[in-house]
Amino acid sequence: MPAQSEMAPAAIEARGLERTFKGGVEAVRGIDLSVAAGEVFGFLGPNGAGKTTTVRMLCTLLPPTAGSAHVAGVDVLRDGAEVRRRIGVALQEIGLDPIQTGRELLELQCGLYGISGADARARAEELLELVGIADAADRRTKTYSGGMKRRLDLASALVHSPEVLFLDEPTTGLDPASRLTVWDEVRRINAGGTTIFLTTQYMEEADQLCRRLAIIDNGRIVAGGSPEELKDRMGHDVVSVGLNGADPAATQAAIGELPGLERVMVEQDALALYVEDGPASIAEIVRRLDRTGVSVGSISVARPTLDDVFLQATGRRLEGDEEPAAAA
Amino acid sequence: MTEIALLGRRAVREVVRMPEATIPTLFIPLFFLAVNIGQVSKTFPSSTPFLHGQGYAAFQIPVSLLFAVSTATSGLALVTEIDNGYFDKLLVAPIRRSSIIWGRLTADLVRGVMLSVLVLIAGLAFGVHVKSGVLGSVVLVLMAALWGVAYAGIGLLVALRTRNVQATNASFLVFFPLLFLTPNFVPFDRLTGLMEALARANPVSYVIEGLRSLVLQGWVLHKLAICMGVIVATGLLLTWLSVRTIERFDR
Ligand SMILES: Nc1ncnc2c1ncn2[C@@H]1O[C@H](COP(=O)(O)OP(=O)(O)OP(=O)(O)O)[C@@H](O)[C@H]1O
Ligand SMILES: [Mg+2]
Repeated sequence: MPAQSEMAPAAIEARGLERTFKGGVEAVRGIDLSVAAGEVFGFLGPNGAGKTTTVRMLCTLLPPTAGSAHVAGVDVLRDGAEVRRRIGVALQEIGLDPIQTGRELLELQCGLYGISGADARARAEELLELVGIADAADRRTKTYSGGMKRRLDLASALVHSPEVLFLDEPTTGLDPASRLTVWDEVRRINAGGTTIFLTTQYMEEADQLCRRLAIIDNGRIVAGGSPEELKDRMGHDVVSVGLNGADPAATQAAIGELPGLERVMVEQDALALYVEDGPASIAEIVRRLDRTGVSVGSISVARPTLDDVFLQATGRRLEGDEEPAAAA
Repeated sequence: MTEIALLGRRAVREVVRMPEATIPTLFIPLFFLAVNIGQVSKTFPSSTPFLHGQGYAAFQIPVSLLFAVSTATSGLALVTEIDNGYFDKLLVAPIRRSSIIWGRLTADLVRGVMLSVLVLIAGLAFGVHVKSGVLGSVVLVLMAALWGVAYAGIGLLVALRTRNVQATNASFLVFFPLLFLTPNFVPFDRLTGLMEALARANPVSYVIEGLRSLVLQGWVLHKLAICMGVIVATGLLLTWLSVRTIERFDR
């Protein structure tokens, strides 16, 4: 629904945002973002891409070296205080006070956002239930497991029902079950009208949760759009040919000009052929390889993934360890 | 205001729940008190003029009080918070950054009162008699605690500037010149020329003098006024610097 994003004021708008750290590290090199109110927006990128730096700039924790940003319609640089009132933030590095209990931490957090007394107690209780740590509410947070800390941290970002919620890698380090719980929470929070800006290293997470996303690498946005758009842009199907030591150039030459071939990517010990009709192409590829006597390891067909989008944009795989195994 | 109260309450809670951060700071002053009394009581019997008829413990107790409250405990708590990320959570909340400092100083006041009372009780056990009476003892405890609040700014500043636990821990070293280049063992006129000049230039000397007057002499208003003046001036300066530093944090 692109019409909606044009009508509603943007929840996050960034222009030419840059951050160079002391010592010359260019963590963010001029990014433009536009996140519509009410959407879950994904910020997908590998380690060191600049995700956290971007989030910290949008949350008023770090001044940009150049560029501008508005969050919830408010200028991040001019009126940081007003931005802080409207946003909730769960940073990548969980920040909990180890000697307070979960309940105390949430009640204090309520107080900092102007919710006091019985209201604060009720809100804390509600959030403890929501994130499923009510049983541990009166234990000091230092006794919590990693997943419990993550969930308490998420709860503490929600006390004031923020307009815009920033989640920096909310599921990194969680087991698959906890990850699904967090996904459900994200969907529920979003259903209540909160715009969510979520960073992740997991393409599946971006794919499942986000209506739109931007892929960031090396401080620059290299691709953006809805997951479907991004994948469609790659082609209709992707045929992976595992080379098993065969020469990529020779194999590519043997396959030649396939009908409906949109693009070929050479990877480590594999070829990725983006084609219109995967199943039909497989038969043709096998026939041609047979005819020229080139032997390959494996052939499989799949829909393009966000990882293919990342590969196309950067020449590298995002989830390097998983993909070759799948192709073999 | 409410945010200061909330952050103050949390910091006080920390004092209560982590006695291991406070108790060791009590060891140094009590150790020095016992050792000094044991070593010099014969040299300075109660007939010594500057003791005003009391034992040497009475002369030393104000120094012990300052030892007890002059700590980097708040600075350490702050740098730990910067380290573990909770500080970011506070920075991203819609509060004045200065309230983070005021919250810490609230805990210093509470901790200062607790420690001063304990040191004073130890002093009473050593036979100290507070000449200015019960009210004077209360003023003694409060002034010592306020000095602790003023002094805490050093640890807070180092914590904010360096963001480094070791450096903040080491900031207690400042305490040596500040508390030893003073008339801590004997009065000004018993010091050698250079020592006396240094001690007279050191504002902490006047804090010791003020507290000492309450114990040995009763109500000597001009000494108390100077003492209070030094405490307030030190407190305002260091707190102002800390607030300025936290407001520019990451800029
Ligand atoms: N305070 C800092 N000083 C200097 N360099 C920094 C600082 N913070 C981040 N960087 C550098 O900036 C780059 C981007 O870091 P950032 O933390 O934004 O990446 P990220 O995408 O969040 O990575 P990850 O997935 O590992 O969290 C990295 O090269 C990092 O080393
Ligand atoms: Mg990060």
